[in-house]
Amino acid sequence: MLIRRGLLAALLLFVAAHARAFTVDELIAKNIEAKGGLDKIRAIRTLRTSGQMRVGGGGFSLDLAYTMMAQRPAMIRTEASIQGLTAVTAYDGSIGWQLQPFQGRRDPDKMSADDMKGLKLSADMEGPLVDYKAKGHKIDYLGTEDVDGTAAHKLKISLKEGDIRYVYLDPDYFLEIRIVDQIKIRGVEIEQETDLGDYEQVNGVYLPFSIESGPKGGPKGQKITIVKAEANVDLNDALFHFPAAPAAVSK
Amino acid sequence: MRDTSLIAAISAVIFSFVTSAPAGAEAATAPTAVHFDAGIISGLGARNIGSARMSGRIAAVAAATVDGKTLVYAGAASGGVWKSNDGGTTFKPVFDKNPVQTIGAIAIDPSNPKVVWVGTGECWTRNSVSVGDGIYKSADGGETWSHMGLDASERISEIVINPKNSDVVYACVPGKLWSDSADRGLYKTVDGGKTWSLILKGKNLSTGCSAITMDPQSPDLLYACLWDFRRKGWTYRSGGEGPQDESGSGLYRSEDGGKSWIEVDAGKNGLPPKPYGRIEIKFAPSNNKIVYAFIEGTDSALYRSDDGGKTWEQRDKSQGMVWRAFYFARLIIDPTNPDRIYKPDFDLIVSEDGGKSFSSSGGGAHGDWHDLWINPQNPKHVIGGDDGGLWISYDGGSRWWQAMNLPISQFYHVSIDDRDPYQVYGGLQDNSTWIGDSEYPGGITNSRWENILGGDGFWAFTDPADPDYAYAEFQGGSISRCNRKTHDARDIQPRAGYNEKLRFNWNTPIHMSPNEKGTIYIGAQFLFRSRDHGQSWERISPDLTTNDPEKQKQEQSGGITVDNSSAETHTTIYSISESPKDGQVIWVGTDDGNVQVTRDGGTTWTNVVGNIKGLPKSSWVSWVEASRFDVATAYAAFDRHTFGDMAPYVYKTADGGKTWSRIAGPDQGLRGYAHVIKEDTIKPDLLFVGTEYGLWVSIDGGRQWAEFTGGNFPKVAVRDIVIQPRDNDLVLATHGRGIWIIDDITPLRTMTDDLLRKDAAFLDSRPITQRILGSGGWAEGDATFYGENPPSGAVITYYQRTRHLFGPIKIEILGPDGKLVDTIPASKRRGINRVSWSMRVAPPLVPNAAQIAFSSSQGPRVISGIYTARLTKGKEVFETKLNIGLDRRATYNLDDRKAQFDAAMRVHDMFGAMSSLVDKIIGSRMMADQSAANLPEKDTLRKDLEGFSSRIEVIRKKIVATKEGGAITGEERLREHLDQLYGAIMSYEGRPAQYQMKSIDALQHELDDVNKEFSALTAKTLPAINEGLKAKGLPPIAPPPEMPHMQASSSLSSADINAAFSAFLGRFYQRSLNVMEKD
Repeated sequence: MLIRRGLLAALLLFVAAHARAFTVDELIAKNIEAKGGLDKIRAIRTLRTSGQMRVGGGGFSLDLAYTMMAQRPAMIRTEASIQGLTAVTAYDGSIGWQLQPFQGRRDPDKMSADDMKGLKLSADMEGPLVDYKAKGHKIDYLGTEDVDGTAAHKLKISLKEGDIRYVYLDPDYFLEIRIVDQIKIRGVEIEQETDLGDYEQVNGVYLPFSIESGPKGGPKGQKITIVKAEANVDLNDALFHFPAAPAAVSK
Repeated sequence: MRDTSLIAAISAVIFSFVTSAPAGAEAATAPTAVHFDAGIISGLGARNIGSARMSGRIAAVAAATVDGKTLVYAGAASGGVWKSNDGGTTFKPVFDKNPVQTIGAIAIDPSNPKVVWVGTGECWTRNSVSVGDGIYKSADGGETWSHMGLDASERISEIVINPKNSDVVYACVPGKLWSDSADRGLYKTVDGGKTWSLILKGKNLSTGCSAITMDPQSPDLLYACLWDFRRKGWTYRSGGEGPQDESGSGLYRSEDGGKSWIEVDAGKNGLPPKPYGRIEIKFAPSNNKIVYAFIEGTDSALYRSDDGGKTWEQRDKSQGMVWRAFYFARLIIDPTNPDRIYKPDFDLIVSEDGGKSFSSSGGGAHGDWHDLWINPQNPKHVIGGDDGGLWISYDGGSRWWQAMNLPISQFYHVSIDDRDPYQVYGGLQDNSTWIGDSEYPGGITNSRWENILGGDGFWAFTDPADPDYAYAEFQGGSISRCNRKTHDARDIQPRAGYNEKLRFNWNTPIHMSPNEKGTIYIGAQFLFRSRDHGQSWERISPDLTTNDPEKQKQEQSGGITVDNSSAETHTTIYSISESPKDGQVIWVGTDDGNVQVTRDGGTTWTNVVGNIKGLPKSSWVSWVEASRFDVATAYAAFDRHTFGDMAPYVYKTADGGKTWSRIAGPDQGLRGYAHVIKEDTIKPDLLFVGTEYGLWVSIDGGRQWAEFTGGNFPKVAVRDIVIQPRDNDLVLATHGRGIWIIDDITPLRTMTDDLLRKDAAFLDSRPITQRILGSGGWAEGDATFYGENPPSGAVITYYQRTRHLFGPIKIEILGPDGKLVDTIPASKRRGINRVSWSMRVAPPLVPNAAQIAFSSSQGPRVISGIYTARLTKGKEVFETKLNIGLDRRATYNLDDRKAQFDAAMRVHDMFGAMSSLVDKIIGSRMMADQSAANLPEKDTLRKDLEGFSSRIEVIRKKIVATKEGGAITGEERLREHLDQLYGAIMSYEGRPAQYQMKSIDALQHELDDVNKEFSALTAKTLPAINEGLKAKGLPPIAPPPEMPHMQASSSLSSADINAAFSAFLGRFYQRSLNVMEKD
């Protein structure tokens, strides 16, 4: 199927040197199709990915074991472990919280509405492009822009809650290759750039197995490599809720 | 036939996708040609080292109060638009993706601060100004821009938006500086920029619009100023050719939004008679009856009208008011006080009495001001731009904060030395000469730059004969030899002979001989050479220029106001290059179009420019470059922008100048007039061209060129390029964005057409060294700039023909014995990719405790040797060797390094043993607690189990800190002591200290003690407990088995390390268990 799409893209490129202009809805349809189609995307109710997170760069870096769990409609939990200590960030649809154990503290802390914005955005498992109108987002197509040598389609998502996300789609396969978030934290805009790659199919849906993030335009100081991804595993809701007692660490 | 070729072509393209597609797709035949473009080379990356200490010229400032904070847009003369949402604490460049970076005007829509207009092309028309390409608009606060036309405007001085209708915008276009043009005057749009009308134009093709003002009450009432001006390579005029000559300049009034205009009568109603030069006019925002005009004329002065422009009265005409009108011609009236006026000038001058008198506002700013914003809510809060950058004052300009976060410095040239790390040397427009670090722990802060000499800076070099000295110059060839310790600067400029005048260019060339250490050249119209640090100069040429007297009338330059600052000095030598192959061969280029060469050290000279077919006469020779590889080969770049021709002209000769071929021009995709052509130090076909709009690279002697855009390198003027030969770094002098470094260009040397056709391949790199990891950096707040350092790891470079999108791609590092050391995430972009490996083995396995053990989160760096990088991309596997060596600066040798590594690995192993012990304790406790829980409370076996559990927990608490809660507990146990020792050993890669080795022994002893204690306790207690458990049919307690001491995923065994050393040394090496014993 992908090869067929590749053929279509190749023919388009061959016939016309410049890609024709797309509409927002055409691009989103292509993106959804490239991932595997809406049915398959919606068929994933929960997702658990695990792998490694490398933080830093150059002469120093830290390797942490990484796990992400997500569950519809809008629950997410990420864990990063080193030396038997596990940092947790989670959101259960209303409360965002975190646990930072590296200096001896085992109690979870609630996050402010601004601090949990990124987490909340990630909790939308299918991403903001799917059903964006129903979700209250507004999307504009801004043409193509160079992403490290690739002329990617650039979509601007004006999120319902007021922040901005730019999504860059690969011009041949229409999958996301870069995301730039502009999120206001206490009135100050924070820009974060995430590169996505190493797409692999999970339950018929292409997901990025490489997620590299950093400040916009700067080095990607956090590199997540997914080794294992499982869809529709049973996840206990308690994993996402703010723990009454110190949080249990999942396997 | 047609069908067959079509199918073949489609197949080729399809296969190119298939190779990156998943599901078992096979690699296939590559297409026959790969377009050599920016995407291929830009993955090399680049880093900006600044500096923002001296910053650069700001041409325009716009600001507004939004959400209680000050939104600022700073328009750099040649470094783009910088936006701050926080009043200047932080800035980000928002215009970099547009094709030009010279800014003339910025306007924020008064009805919507998200809408901002930028007019490109600076209007402060000094000799070094850049060239714009029209007007831009952003509707989202500078995130995205649309080009809104006025393509041929070249420069725009002001943009005014109707506050009652955002679609109505006026653009004041002075227009082309160097040539006639009809595309100048005052333009108006009524549809938000979709279409423009030229509503006021001059009476000749050199007259454009210098200023506009709109009645603050009635937006249709406008005044506009027309300005007649022209610059040539050798002269300049503001107004007519001379003070009394006819000029197109004039002042105009419209009452109907520009439909009709009436020229305000010169010489009447209090205004001076014509001719005029540059004019500026502004309404007082708080009183539309009060209008101020600055008029450059035979009696230049400020004029004020109190009746909306009907009648005028002459006010101040001090030197600060009339000085250099082409460069200083803006009036800013306090929006709350019609009698307070600022005029940016050499100083920022201010009047509190309606223009009757002015004084310098004061403070320690740079000077040469161009624009100012006054906060309408607090008029004491002002933000201004001058030749030294952006300045913020909270007391009306009496005292200033410098924005130390704008790296918009305008270098003319750059050179390097051979220190390690090397330093860069360069001079800047109106900002002296500076020497900066290419690398410094914690980042290259503004304070890592050292200022020498003064004035406008140009060429600068370390003295290769004595590194305590540097050569530097200021405008007009004022060269000095500067002592970097005592900071004295000895003037060594060659002097004229009897009845003679030397002509030194504004940007006078200084050249260091590549053959004779310490021999230095400088060019006037004659070429001078010194072999004794400027103690004496030999004149080694006749006048090498055309010596055209028509181009030597600088004392009459300026138009209405004479302005002879050496900026127009012409018929001079501009570029010098001694052949690295033969010191007798010297090439010289002149600003008036001669290419001269001598083959006998200056005795005889030949002008070969006539041999360059197709090159227009008198073209400014911006660069001559003798080849490093062949004495008959040379390159020359010509800059014709002073004739209005913005195309690059770059030529090569391979026969000593007899014939030339054009190797770079618009046909090859280059944009902007050429400043420099540079040949690589290793590969003759690797060439670099710097133009007014960027850097272009060719890997095939000029057949194909690709623009370099890596590391977010903007489309800024590249005026000089130098290669640091030891580190193979390409160092760029940009005129507007400081110094940039492309680290290690070795990969470009291995790029060929064949390689570009491959799916993927490793590219060569410079030898890898384990740079000493210095510590540095301290908080300076957010309002500062620091330059990036080169990566401190081993940089691995590879090429991919297409972006990697599907399936895993990874890089594994194998030790000298082929065993896995580390796996690192691979980069995925198209073209050149770079990743950095820390060169560390995996960190030790550390027992769980209350807090993280920070030092032991890292493994020690591997020892020197030949390692392998293996790239796995789908089913394809590629390998390359990494030859890792010690830092050149290391004061320790390889044996010392081995001792350090061994000591660290011994501690590493101890952590592993400790983890095993703690795992055993925890495992035993879990089993004991679980069994106890299954027994009745009063059962004696339950008590025995509980007792056993608590006794082994006591042992665990001797090993690791266990107090939780997040406070600074200060609790240190064996694990924490070992972590401290490990950190100490890791802090220095030479031989560990004796006391550190003893400490290892002591802690090993302590670890042995607790191990023995646990073993003794279990030996003594468990048999009876297990008997009891057995009697009850419960499973026995068995401590978990010994675990491997290192993380399995990327561990190095002792055998691995021994093999690595053996391979590196070329002899058998056996690491002893006690590293204090010599092997």
